[in-house]
Amino acid sequence: MKRATLALLAVVPLLACDPVHTRAVDALGGETPGVPRGPLHRPGQPCLLCHDGAFGDPRAFAMAGTVFQSANAVTPLEGATITLLGADGSTQTATTNAAGNFYLSTSEYTPHYPVHVKSIVSGGKSIFMQSHIGENGSCAGCHADPSGPDSPGHVYFDITGTPP
Amino acid sequence: MKHSGWNRCLGVLLVVGVAVACSAPPSDARFVETAPDTTTFPAVAAMLIQSCGSLDCHATVGRNLRIYGDTGLRFSPTDVPSVLIPTTADEITQDYDAVIGLEPEIMSEVVASHGANPERLTFYRKPLGLESHKGGTIINAGDARDVCITTWLEGSADATACKNALSLP
Repeated sequence: MKRATLALLAVVPLLACDPVHTRAVDALGGETPGVPRGPLHRPGQPCLLCHDGAFGDPRAFAMAGTVFQSANAVTPLEGATITLLGADGSTQTATTNAAGNFYLSTSEYTPHYPVHVKSIVSGGKSIFMQSHIGENGSCAGCHADPSGPDSPGHVYFDITGTPP
Repeated sequence: MKHSGWNRCLGVLLVVGVAVACSAPPSDARFVETAPDTTTFPAVAAMLIQSCGSLDCHATVGRNLRIYGDTGLRFSPTDVPSVLIPTTADEITQDYDAVIGLEPEIMSEVVASHGANPERLTFYRKPLGLESHKGGTIINAGDARDVCITTWLEGSADATACKNALSLP
């Protein structure tokens, strides 16, 4: 018992002191003033970086992200329905909130990768994602701003443009 | 007597160690790879881009098997994923180099034997699920992706299989 406690005491600091993870979290910056921690916070950021289930708080997400209205602005798109299609043929839906955020906790959804974004529906119109999600449940893990050779930029719903 | 034997042993070990440490191939030695077909590779590249080249998998610069393409990582610094600029010739060249550069000696052997035992290649074993692969099993034996790759290793990629592979989930 004593040995197990000592082993745990040795492992926990190692987990807590992952410098790569710490730097990535630090790079996100602080909370936006006036927006408390919760469903509306940090739109457009890689949710699973913190919502990884480590130490139980914040709770673990399986898939989460933010949908914006256009490519050139970060106005949130509320009420969009995202339908995910897993490699096992199962589907799962989520709806964006007032911040454009959507999230599925690990207790709600177990993704079977590769996962396709079958559709994002808003106002009776629908788009889909051209490529699949291979392993990263954070939309912003790939859809980071600014756009460039390794990122298409934030997820947006522009029915006249190309799918995000 | 005991010390003398021990010293002799140490001496031999030292000589062998130095010989091993200092042995190097001649500086003008070159390995010439027997490379797979380039003509039909674009069809294989399209399949790889679709099935392996997502931005959170092999379309990242940190990967040995680094896949460039229209829906993933772009080679030109001015191009962006999924913005209606098709996969470029430069990207296909990069993909080809990435694939053949993973295990050049083994790739040479497989190509020289007209695609026999492709499972010698890590590039083939991992997606087939024969070896641990974070992305899971991407290829099932005999499916269009499998035929696309194995025919390419045999000498010429089956264009129909590669095209059919694009519609696999």
